[in-house]
This record gives sequence, C-alpha cells and structure tokens, in this order.
Amino acid sequence: MVLEVTAKDTEDNELFKKEKKWFEIGIDPDKDMRYGAWQIKEIIDLTLPPLQTQREQYLVHFDTDTDEVTINAKLWYFIRGGKGEIVYEETRTLEY
Amino acid sequence: MKLTVLHKVGIFTLSMLIATFSMANAKEAKSIDELVAMFDDKKCAECHEQIYSEWQASWHAKAINSSLKGMRNFIAVGLAKEWDTPLTKAEVLKCLDCHAPAVNYASEELAVEIGNLIVTAFEKKGSPAGSQAAEELAKLNVGCYSCHNIKATSIAPGLRGKPEKGVMYGPNGEDGDDFHESIESVDISTSAFCMQCHGVYHAPDGETIQCNTLSGSYRHGYLAAGGSKTCQECHLNKGHLFPGGHDLDTVKEGLGFNLEIAKYNHLPGQIEGVKNPKGWVPSAVITAFVENKAGHRIPDG
Repeated sequence: MVLEVTAKDTEDNELFKKEKKWFEIGIDPDKDMRYGAWQIKEIIDLTLPPLQTQREQYLVHFDTDTDEVTINAKLWYFIRGGKGEIVYEETRTLEY
Repeated sequence: MKLTVLHKVGIFTLSMLIATFSMANAKEAKSIDELVAMFDDKKCAECHEQIYSEWQASWHAKAINSSLKGMRNFIAVGLAKEWDTPLTKAEVLKCLDCHAPAVNYASEELAVEIGNLIVTAFEKKGSPAGSQAAEELAKLNVGCYSCHNIKATSIAPGLRGKPEKGVMYGPNGEDGDDFHESIESVDISTSAFCMQCHGVYHAPDGETIQCNTLSGSYRHGYLAAGGSKTCQECHLNKGHLFPGGHDLDTVKEGLGFNLEIAKYNHLPGQIEGVKNPKGWVPSAVITAFVENKAGHRIPDG
C-alpha cells in the first residue's frame, strides 16, 4: 500500500512529491530477504496494523512567486507486483 | 500377565482386521477425474445455485491456477534445488492441503502427477501442454466439500473426530431435500476455521509455509487491540464470493482516509533558495490520516 502526495503548479510542474509505503519483508533464518513461501520463516513488519491510524505529515514551502498550488493525495493498494488500484484520492487547490 | 500363543495370534488377527478395514475406508483416487467425482461440487449447484454461482466467481474456485507461480517455484526451486528432496504427496500437500484439500484423498502417484502438472502449466504456459495441464488443474480448487466436509472438523479434531463421508457441515445443519445428510457445525463460522489456511501453514513434518500472515495479525494485532469480528463477518458480505484484497469495495471498507491541509505564509528570510529572500513564502502543512479498519494488517500476503 502506498500513499503518494504531490504538489503541482498551474502549469503542471511537480513542486513536491513524497511516498509512504506499507509492506512486509519476508526473511529466511539467515536473515536474507525472500519471496518464496517455503523460504520465509520470519517477517519484518512495516505494514499498517489492524485498528490503527497512522499520520503522515509534510511541511512544504513553495517559491515566493507561487500563486496557486494543487495538492493531490492518492492511496494505492497493490494486490501483487505492479498491479495497483487507487483506493482513495483527494485533490485540493491552494491560492496564495 | 504373560501372553499365550493364542493371545498373540488373536492380537495379530485383530490388528490385521483393523488395518484392512482402515485401508478399505481410506480410498485413494488414482486420477484427477476420480478425485473430482469423490468430491463433486457440481452436484451442490443443483440445489444451491446462487451460492455455487458466487463461488464460481471466487478465488477459491481457481485456487491452484491463480497461484501457479508460487507452487511451481516451491516444487522446481524449493524441493528440487534448495532442499534436494523428491516430489512426494507429503511435499505436494504443503501447497495443496489448502489450495485443493481433496488431494489429501489422492494416491501417492496422483499427487506427484498433480505436482508435475503444476510445473508444466507454469513453465509451458501458452503451449498445448501447458494449457492441457492448466485445464486439468482447474478441476481442483477450494470447493464446497473442501470447507463443508474435508476441513470441517480440522480445527478441533480431538473433539469432533474425522469428517463423515458424504455429510455436509454447515452453520445451521439444515438438510434441504435430504440429498445429503447435514451436521450443524459452529466451527465453520469461527475465524479459527479460516485461519487453518489463511495464515502461516504448519505441515505435519513441522515445516512452515508462509503464503500470508493474516491470521497472526488477526490474533495478535486485531483481537489484542479489542477487535471481536470474525473473518466471516466481513468476507462473507458478498456470499461465497469471499472478496478480499482483489475486490476494491472490500479494500475500501477496510481502509479509512482523511486529508487535512493547513495553508499559511512562512516568515520571510527563513527559507533558503526562494526567488525573493525578503518575501513571504507560500507554505502548507499536509497531513494524511490512513486508518486500518480491517481485522488484520494491511497489506498482507
């Protein structure tokens, strides 16, 4: 699962971009990262735990001549590999 | 007490009778078609059309062919190369005890044949041999009998005993038209029932197979945090389709999202690299709240 936050100016130039990923890393007994279900004996848990809310916060500064910025936040869910779907998306325009 | 010859002969005869009786009961299929006939889910559709239709669209219905890559890798890489271990029924069942529980009733030779079909279906995908293998494998899945018979008593085998042949275990035990005997089973409505397969799998020889970790986070994350819903309360909401991570509606139900943005102008002279060092700097604090409302970690698997 990936949270992607971007800020763009009126000409679609990207002024800011951050990503936060939630995932788990499977490791074998030698602590080597593995994908095979038979190889994985432990995990390093970087997922979002049940019944918890996590907060991602960014302080962003734009240039002094910026009049308008469009903030876009997408929450992606990847069922496998590169196959992802947008679960939630919000867009806000800020005028200065 | 000393055993007389007569006693010993009697014990031996009794042992042989028990062994013969057990073997007669433990019928093993020698072909996929024979195995499918032993647990023929299509019969269920005659009365339970709606449920069968839901199940047909589910991932349970394609539990082998949707996971070919992982199972092929286990057989061709894990067993053959890393473990240097021959393909046997016991090894095949480390995948298929969950992906096609009926294989528990396959002969040793058939189970190995199914394992080889998995390798062929993956490695020769698109070729006639690969397509034929996939077609055969499509007959095996997590079907009606898998949950309502084969695995029905497995969470409490000491208490419940082995599943009775031909009997369907369900939450209400209703008999329909007496097409089959039914036994009311509360077990099938518990999370523990799903956790047999939707978590770290423990094979009889002690090997662990970690396809996913759902049940671990359910038990030690969700329940420990005060959650009390069962798997079925969320994942049976579209009937026997059992939607999960592949279904966007279900993913949305399990996640909450809120975006807060505080716009302000930062003091002049504090931010380096701006065009006008003496000007106010347009700024924003962007805060995203992501909530996991599900009964397990996200993502998982």
